[in-house]
Amino acid sequence: MTQAQFVGTGSPVHRLNPVTKLVALLSILVIVFALPQWWVSAIVVVGVLLPAAVIARCGGPLIAVGGRILLPIVVVLVLVQGLTFPGGRTMVWQWGVLSVTSEGLLFALNVGARIVCLVLASVLLVLTTHPGDLMSALTEAGMSPKFSYIISSTLQLIPAFRSRADAILLAQQARGLAVPRNPLRRIGVMMPLLGPLVLGMFTDVEERGTAMEARGFGSTARRTALEAIPDSTAQRVARWVMPLVAVAAVVVPLVWEVL
Amino acid sequence: MIQLADVSYAYPDSGRFVLEHVDLRIEPGTITGVVGASGAGKTTLAKILSGFIPHVDGGQLSGSVVIGGRDLSGLPLAACVSQVGLVIQNPFNQISGARYTVRGELAFGMENLGTPRDEMANRVAEVAGLLRITDLLDRSPYELSGGQQQLVAIASMLVLRTPVLVMDEPTSQLDPAGTRMVFGVLSRLRGTGTTIVVFEHKPELLHAHADRLHVLAGRRIAASGSPGEILSDPRTDQWGVSATRYTRAARLAREQGLVPAEAPLPVSFEQAAAFFGWSARTRPPSPEDAR
Amino acid sequence: MSIAIEFIDLHFRYPGGVEAVRGVSLTVSAGERVAIVGENGAGKTTLVRHLNGILRPTSGTVLVGGASTRDRSIAQLAAQVGYVFQNPDEQLFASTIGADVEFGPRNLGCTPSEAAARAASALATVQLQDQAGLHPHHLSPSERKRVALAGVLAMQTPVVVLDEPTTGQDARGVEIVAGVVDSIAAQGRTVVAITHDMDFCAEHFDRVVVMADGLVQADGDTRAVFDQVGTLERAAVEPPQLLRLAAHLGWHARPLTPAEFVDASTREPRDPGTRVD
Repeated sequence: MTQAQFVGTGSPVHRLNPVTKLVALLSILVIVFALPQWWVSAIVVVGVLLPAAVIARCGGPLIAVGGRILLPIVVVLVLVQGLTFPGGRTMVWQWGVLSVTSEGLLFALNVGARIVCLVLASVLLVLTTHPGDLMSALTEAGMSPKFSYIISSTLQLIPAFRSRADAILLAQQARGLAVPRNPLRRIGVMMPLLGPLVLGMFTDVEERGTAMEARGFGSTARRTALEAIPDSTAQRVARWVMPLVAVAAVVVPLVWEVL
Repeated sequence: MIQLADVSYAYPDSGRFVLEHVDLRIEPGTITGVVGASGAGKTTLAKILSGFIPHVDGGQLSGSVVIGGRDLSGLPLAACVSQVGLVIQNPFNQISGARYTVRGELAFGMENLGTPRDEMANRVAEVAGLLRITDLLDRSPYELSGGQQQLVAIASMLVLRTPVLVMDEPTSQLDPAGTRMVFGVLSRLRGTGTTIVVFEHKPELLHAHADRLHVLAGRRIAASGSPGEILSDPRTDQWGVSATRYTRAARLAREQGLVPAEAPLPVSFEQAAAFFGWSARTRPPSPEDAR
Repeated sequence: MSIAIEFIDLHFRYPGGVEAVRGVSLTVSAGERVAIVGENGAGKTTLVRHLNGILRPTSGTVLVGGASTRDRSIAQLAAQVGYVFQNPDEQLFASTIGADVEFGPRNLGCTPSEAAARAASALATVQLQDQAGLHPHHLSPSERKRVALAGVLAMQTPVVVLDEPTTGQDARGVEIVAGVVDSIAAQGRTVVAITHDMDFCAEHFDRVVVMADGLVQADGDTRAVFDQVGTLERAAVEPPQLLRLAAHLGWHARPLTPAEFVDASTREPRDPGTRVD
């Protein structure tokens, strides 16, 4: 999750408190595992995720990004389970030695539906939540600011260091380094450059540490925030209700079985 | 008031002394420039003035560092930081990475210290206006050029309104207009009572804005005086200090006997105009022409 | 005199859409010391990055050593054009200074002993010969810039491009860079430098190109260009200290160095306060 994947459309979904969305994601995670039937995941996708995506005006990116991640997974899943599910007896399709069983397909459906649901929920979270807002909201909710810093600075420094690496590579080409097209040989040529780049990151860390201290990062005062994170009573209630529903999803089937 | 008495410092790993028996006195509410060659120990001195040596960097520090009546080595780092702001030499490293916009970056320090929200918004707007980076407030700090990052780094310390500000080559990445602007801002800050110590190379601007200069050479303070005195001193080359072209030309004129040997050398444009505008055979420039 | 560099109606547009160079035509002869000046965003760096192929023309042609840059890679052009980047930390990567300076010559085909000899000579030129075994991080930023310069000097290219060589340098560093510029040209090689330091420019460059808004606003002999007060103002370029002073004193002479200034002072009329501009 970098800010590059955040799609800022300013919709109501975007304006939800990030912790609300995170709690929703975690609740969904618990629910679809507690109730593993494929139609549970399908209800979540159709009833919650897709409408949210439409409201957030992220339907297109959701399908695009989600599809890119899911397509290979789903294809492999269907093939593997369809062809090789143990205990698969009911032949649905046959071609020589290969046969696809309906038990296998059903298994793939159950597992696949869960994966689809979770991936789409995660992607939707990333698309509608700026990482900075998420970190701020979590910090306000009690997470350590140092943890928030580690995540944010990593997210920002990785592209910054990558462009530094590009600049270093460019400078070496300007000194006659021929960079081969062959990817393996390319990596071989770049290796000696990467070592010092990484080392440079570590020696910079000391200076960055000083700069952070100079900005009061070690302060024990109660932190404030420049921008207010949106929240509402309804959301605060929802942040209790959703986990309760998730717990219920776990507990009720167990109780049902016992009875 | 800043007072360093007999301060010596050696690096933790090499044990090599970078500063020896440094004595320094800085009056409150002034702009003090520290000049000298690169690598002469300026960054080390900047860290000592702000408490980062010894609290963060270790090594052997002897002598006393007293700021506002309190010895820094006895204070916890948080107290040092609230007294003395430090702008480090490399703007890229000063940017925290904790915030995604310049606005957030400027507010970061204040958020850590628990400054009320309205106050933060006001200070961000004010400092951004001063340094002319208002149009950069919504951009990511990592998208900016080196010079822009340097302005953001300076701004991020100015918002904290520390009584003392120590700045290590704050205009190294800036073009002439940007450099003049930053020095202008420092003069304004002095007007509000801030004590500023700036490590710099640029003679014209130091002469125009600094109240006093100290030369760091040979691991100690080799000379102290007004900018006019220091920047026209015959030892500037030896110290690794830049002199303006006006001074260099005047020095040559003196060597060639075109002006009397005791004529004080000009540093600024105005002084040079007076110096060279006189008639060689009638009136040598008087001591009042130089500051 | 042979032609080292030619820009023919060069246009360059960045992928984001900004046209940074909007039609520049320029010829530089071998042995010239050319300074390119102008405020940030004028297109100076964009222009010179075409010389070693980092950027390719959107339209127009760039000739180096008489041949177009079009079919040569950056690494190939490096044999003709040495480029010293503004930020030495992007260029220095080896664990010792000596090894870093040898990198360029090795890539250009020198044997290890040739490269070592060139590196030693280049480091001596920038007065860092005693630091050859040190790790770059042990040097000050000013010294690291000199190492980056040495790294390109060791390549002994016909053309040397310097991107802001005096920024962040102390007095001695500026003197060393100035000496390098003069000695490169004395060897008949060409120097193209982007600089904000007009005094450095006046003292060490024969020709000044003023850029603004992606176009050349003035191009010619140093004295002549710095006389174009209106153009300089529009391009946000300040004249060098001594030229400003001479103009203010109402002199006819246009001295570029302290020596020229003092020399002129013995002959010029002394009318304090007469402004000629």
